[in-house]
Amino acid sequence: MNIDWKRWGLETAQVILTIVVALLMGAVVMQLSGKDALEAYRTLFTSALGKRTAVADTLLAATPLIFTGLATAVAFRAGIFNVGVEGSLYMGAFAAAWVGFTFTGLPGWILIPLAFILAGIVGGIWCLVPGYLKACLRVDEIVTTIMLNYVAILFTSYLVNGPFLVPGLANAMSEKIAPAAQLARLAPPSQLNLSLVIALAAVVVIGFIFRRTTLGYELRTVGANPLFARWSGMPLRNVILKVMFLSGLLGGLAGAGQVLGVHYRFVANFSPGFGFDGITIALLGRNSPIGTLFAALLFGVLRSGGSTMELFTDVPRDLISILEATIIFFVAIEFSLAWLRRRQALPGEEREAEATP
Amino acid sequence: METFINVTFATLRVSAPLILVAMAGVLSQQVGLINIALEGLMLVGAFTAVVAAFSLGSTWSGVLVACLVATLLAAFFALFVIQLRANLIVAGLAVNFLALGATAYLLQVLFNTRGAFAPEELVGLAPVSIPLLNRIPVLGEMLSGHRPLVYLSWLSVAATSVFLYQTVIGTHIRAVGEHVEAAETAGIPVKRVQYLALLLGGFLSGLAGAHLSVGDLTLFRENMTNGRGFIALAAVFFGAARPGLTALACLLFGLFEAVQVRLQTTSNVPPQLPQMLPYLIVIAVLTLISLRRELRKGW
Repeated sequence: MNIDWKRWGLETAQVILTIVVALLMGAVVMQLSGKDALEAYRTLFTSALGKRTAVADTLLAATPLIFTGLATAVAFRAGIFNVGVEGSLYMGAFAAAWVGFTFTGLPGWILIPLAFILAGIVGGIWCLVPGYLKACLRVDEIVTTIMLNYVAILFTSYLVNGPFLVPGLANAMSEKIAPAAQLARLAPPSQLNLSLVIALAAVVVIGFIFRRTTLGYELRTVGANPLFARWSGMPLRNVILKVMFLSGLLGGLAGAGQVLGVHYRFVANFSPGFGFDGITIALLGRNSPIGTLFAALLFGVLRSGGSTMELFTDVPRDLISILEATIIFFVAIEFSLAWLRRRQALPGEEREAEATP
Repeated sequence: METFINVTFATLRVSAPLILVAMAGVLSQQVGLINIALEGLMLVGAFTAVVAAFSLGSTWSGVLVACLVATLLAAFFALFVIQLRANLIVAGLAVNFLALGATAYLLQVLFNTRGAFAPEELVGLAPVSIPLLNRIPVLGEMLSGHRPLVYLSWLSVAATSVFLYQTVIGTHIRAVGEHVEAAETAGIPVKRVQYLALLLGGFLSGLAGAHLSVGDLTLFRENMTNGRGFIALAAVFFGAARPGLTALACLLFGLFEAVQVRLQTTSNVPPQLPQMLPYLIVIAVLTLISLRRELRKGW
């Protein structure tokens, strides 16, 4: 396997620099609002990594983020700004819950894969809509995917408040899924569950797809140079459709993981923005599967530690969102700086064929 | 008839923030920069308006401060995009994340509240009754009695149109948007023009946000813009960045939002279904635009 160690090292250094700057920014914000930044960070990191249960909770927080990060990375890599993973997450989550509370007679080893598969398909189809519009009518995907996020959240909310309303339960929740469908807990009393394993498997699979399959090659080429892709005869339309489906599929799996592993039912508005975190994670991880995994773990630390930080130091956990914004800002600059540097370094023809690994 | 008047009134009222932020979008689009950050700028405007009005004791001061702060954020965005050449879309997303996080963070830090902030002492901007207009039977009821920022939004359409098509700077903006190299060769200071468009856009977005939070009720709710910045962007695409057409698209989207609110109160339809309407309409509109473009190209 050819790894350009120098470039890998440079990119990793950039990522670490980005994180450090973001943390510094956060510290500035906290100090300016009269909070003790050092104390806050100390609480955050120790509560996320200190004890075994803490690590379990961090991994728990990271699980959906691995999925959504991969989902977004797959699309971004192909040059498609799919901001609609949150929508696929919701649709997939409901689909998984539906399987879980409808087919209560089936044994676990059928029920669980069935739920995940249906969640993936539903999530994939949800992203196919803007994908189809982009592929066939060249409709810009940013606004359409954002719109569909709202539609998905509202629609699933409607479903649990309407057709699937459970009388007697507090509003906005579906029935509980069958015990057979519930994913095993890996490290009680934490809610960490089997979906982590599935997420890690997804990382491997996506890595394989990127590096070893035709789709992966097409995806990377379309993302790096759409013109070259078209001239070399790649079916642009099909690539866009496949990529959007894959992206939505992963988003759906994220939702399924949450339903089958944590909540055991579909709860309206349950996502604190897993899909949107996915964007930051994909960008930080440079749209690569391994990078996404590490970025997701980092965000698991931030999100998990952040809630504890809020409890003990009265620093609102929204600080994490501010950190996210800083990270995205820096990634936005890095992208263009690196791109500019590469373009200036290479002579004419070679610029066209340059593709990121 | 009564319903028709009420719905029209509601449409005009609800479209106002959309129109204002869409004008911001028009300016950005005309200078060649798709402004994804409109949503975040609007949210910041909404938040700042409530906070400033509360702290300063005057609603109009709140509106002014909101516009200034939004302009500041737009300057920050412009710096990243124009000077540092950051990716336009990623930087826009960053602004939106920042707006969401910062407003929620400050809400907690300043007022110890989560979710919403509705200070009782704060009064919204009083509705304006236009002297002669309000005596005309049907038209008067629809057009008179709106909050000041609604009328301001109509003014903004005219102002943007005049600015873009009748002034020298406006022509420069359009030139840069059409062909950057040609504009540069003609001696137009491209970067300065882009900055101007984005800063003006920031001001208008702040105004839009202010209308949302203090123009009518006085309330800030987390993420209260709820996608309006993107709906406005769709309106800009629909109107091909022309102020008049864009405003028309905003009215269309506003109509669906007004209808949706009405449906919630008058029928038994569960609330979430009508709430989906505006977003679905945007997708439909975008699809129609692209369809028309593709069909015109022929096969």
